[in-house]
Amino acid sequence: MVETEQVENVEFQWGKKKGIGGKKKDVTFYESFTYDGVEYFLYDSVYLYKEGEPEPYIGKLLKIWQNPDKTKKVKILWFFRSCEILNYLGGVDTRENELFLASGNGIGLANINSLEVLAGKCNVLCISNDSRNPQPSDEALKKADFVFCRTFDVGKQEVCNEICDKIAGVEVKLLLNKADSSKDVKRTDKDGKDASGIAIVNTQLEDPSGRDISNGELTLTTNDSSLEKSTKENVDLKGSIEKSSNEEKSSAHAIERGIGMGKTSSIIKHENILGDKVPPKLKIDSNEKPGNAKDVEGRVKSLRESAEVEHRPAKKTKLDSSVQLSPGKTENDIEKLGVDHNNGDTLASSPKALVSEDASRAKNVKDSHETKGSFLKKPKLDEKPTKVSNGKNLKASSLIHGEVVEVTRRPDADRSRWFKGLPWEERIKDAHEQGTLVLIQNLDPSYTSGEVEDIVWHAFNESCTAKMIQKTANSMPHIGQAYVVFKTKEAAEKVVRKLHEGCLLLANGSVLVGSFETPHLSSKKQTFFGHHCIDKLRHQMQREMKGAVSTSHCSQPNTIEYDMAMEWCLLQERSELVGKQLFKQQEEELRKLKSKLKSR
Amino acid sequence: MGSEKDEQFAMFEEKVKRTVYVDNLSLQVTEPVLRTALDQFGTVVSVHFIPNYTEPINSSQCALVEMKDSKEAKSVITVIAQFPFMMSGMPRPVRARPAEVEMFDDRPVKPGRKISFRWLESDDPDFEVARQIKRLSKKHVAEAAFLVKQHMAEEEKLAKQQQETLKGNYKKYEIVDSVMADGTARRLAKHYNMRISDD
Repeated sequence: MVETEQVENVEFQWGKKKGIGGKKKDVTFYESFTYDGVEYFLYDSVYLYKEGEPEPYIGKLLKIWQNPDKTKKVKILWFFRSCEILNYLGGVDTRENELFLASGNGIGLANINSLEVLAGKCNVLCISNDSRNPQPSDEALKKADFVFCRTFDVGKQEVCNEICDKIAGVEVKLLLNKADSSKDVKRTDKDGKDASGIAIVNTQLEDPSGRDISNGELTLTTNDSSLEKSTKENVDLKGSIEKSSNEEKSSAHAIERGIGMGKTSSIIKHENILGDKVPPKLKIDSNEKPGNAKDVEGRVKSLRESAEVEHRPAKKTKLDSSVQLSPGKTENDIEKLGVDHNNGDTLASSPKALVSEDASRAKNVKDSHETKGSFLKKPKLDEKPTKVSNGKNLKASSLIHGEVVEVTRRPDADRSRWFKGLPWEERIKDAHEQGTLVLIQNLDPSYTSGEVEDIVWHAFNESCTAKMIQKTANSMPHIGQAYVVFKTKEAAEKVVRKLHEGCLLLANGSVLVGSFETPHLSSKKQTFFGHHCIDKLRHQMQREMKGAVSTSHCSQPNTIEYDMAMEWCLLQERSELVGKQLFKQQEEELRKLKSKLKSR
Repeated sequence: MGSEKDEQFAMFEEKVKRTVYVDNLSLQVTEPVLRTALDQFGTVVSVHFIPNYTEPINSSQCALVEMKDSKEAKSVITVIAQFPFMMSGMPRPVRARPAEVEMFDDRPVKPGRKISFRWLESDDPDFEVARQIKRLSKKHVAEAAFLVKQHMAEEEKLAKQQQETLKGNYKKYEIVDSVMADGTARRLAKHYNMRISDD
């Protein structure tokens, strides 16, 4: 293939031309292109990585074009994850892997991006019962990374169950499932490939071993035919491509999402060899909390171990080194490694797979390992998943009591904030009615709302929105409080129970207290004491006050008003003194108690 | 990245310095009212009312008012401390204080701070202490709530008392007024042979 020459660069090739446009007819539109070994078509769903985002954005390609200055652009129609539009869902149930297609007019509908930001294809199926939508097969559904059946109107900021006729000027038919089901299957398989695309892009970004990976990519192309030969299961070349992409897919899934607990690496390998059967267990949507790095690590180990046990241990180190870093490895080395892998593979997999000493076969298996190597690297190199897995690990360790947990930013901390939430007043009220509002006390008053959210994430593995209660002159200087809104009532109850039964000790010696509290929300019955007026003049006064803006003045010492104001000042001072005294005493008590803590 | 955060925080601290915390505000006070009231001391940049969700009875408002610079903020605080300052009613004066970092809702994370925590096991020697801390802090919260309640009661009492005084005073002036108006004063003057007219 053409790409063979381009080992250093990310391969790119335009596909079918669609037309030309622009003012000077110098913009060329395309229907497809190949980028980094993945063929993209118009209206494909894609992943887009953004620096600092734990999870990739997902969108659909609406337009693909090249500007006169050779810059390649894509117009992306966005999908929203349910967590991004949580405030507008209004308690509607969502599937774990459900996405919402942007619709309507406004910010957040679509964006124009450089083509290079694409990180891979994403398999999103429409499960709407809409007559325009060809229903996906069960099999396809199982393979889908995400599904959608509703749209989110970015203008009205509400979720719509009906899919309107046009979104962002595009016939909605094109955005739903493709009509041809066989094509569909092919598509999903290709999508499998993108999963690998992500990993590759990632490693290339963060690792000089890009060459190595592209090597893997290269051999992938050769491997197709050999795989076909050796397994004798496939009729056509296409099929074998499907297979290899499936291979990648399953491993990508296994590693990225860390699912298939208890599955040994040999099983995965087995699946890899068998190719077209991707275990349903491995197919889990990415809304699920992203993978457990430990899990993956474990798998890597077991993989290595199996190689070790079943073969010459001396080779193992080589395998290791190749998995970790192998830029500039000699062909010879790789070849050897390949053989090694080959053996491992065949043993680990079922007798169905043919053992062949054929060099190309070896290469083929090596290749699959090579690519796998790059996946395995991903959790290590890519910052985001590491963070995510941190979260997971922390969850695990929070169950193991006694371990000190450092609170870092939780993974979804910097979620895109395209939409402002409802005012807190309403959110708190709604949350209180739904039983998802928890008051957490004993925080350090200097924590920010974001930090409280981080703490909750690390301590309970629950995401929430928190609001630190702002300090006023009356609030306690040593006890910070925050209202925390959880996604579900169960989560809120769990947190309150855990805080009640267990003790969560912060590094500053405070122990968190959580409770369901009725928030005090402004009602109209409140009266403000201390502003008087003469009854007879009240009516007139009120009329004058209406619409008055300048109603302030300093009191002069020779009036009755001044005397009364002095009384108020006296009262204010007195109660402040009392408060100060009380807080001082309380702090003293607390300090004494905290000094009893042995661990400090 | 770090320096950027430091910078951000430094900028925020500057903002805190030029901000005045105002409380004892009537519920009728709105942003334009507050703006106009404090504009006479300088230039008001922004006004933010602090919502209060926790205090059991809360009938006064508090707000953060950002002035153009810290000098203006200081002058606002001095003037309001010296003279009882009335806003949207009398005679209860508003109160002004320098703002504190914790009062801001949108404050940035303090750079360089690390938070860590741990769950205590029930056989941990600290477990009992931790429980006590929990109880104590609950008590403290209750005490503070009681104090607020007490304070509110006192406010109400004072307000009532002042209302009575005011009524009494008003009645007195009304009587004095009516003495002049309904001719009683003139009749009495005639009776005692006194001159009351100004000429």
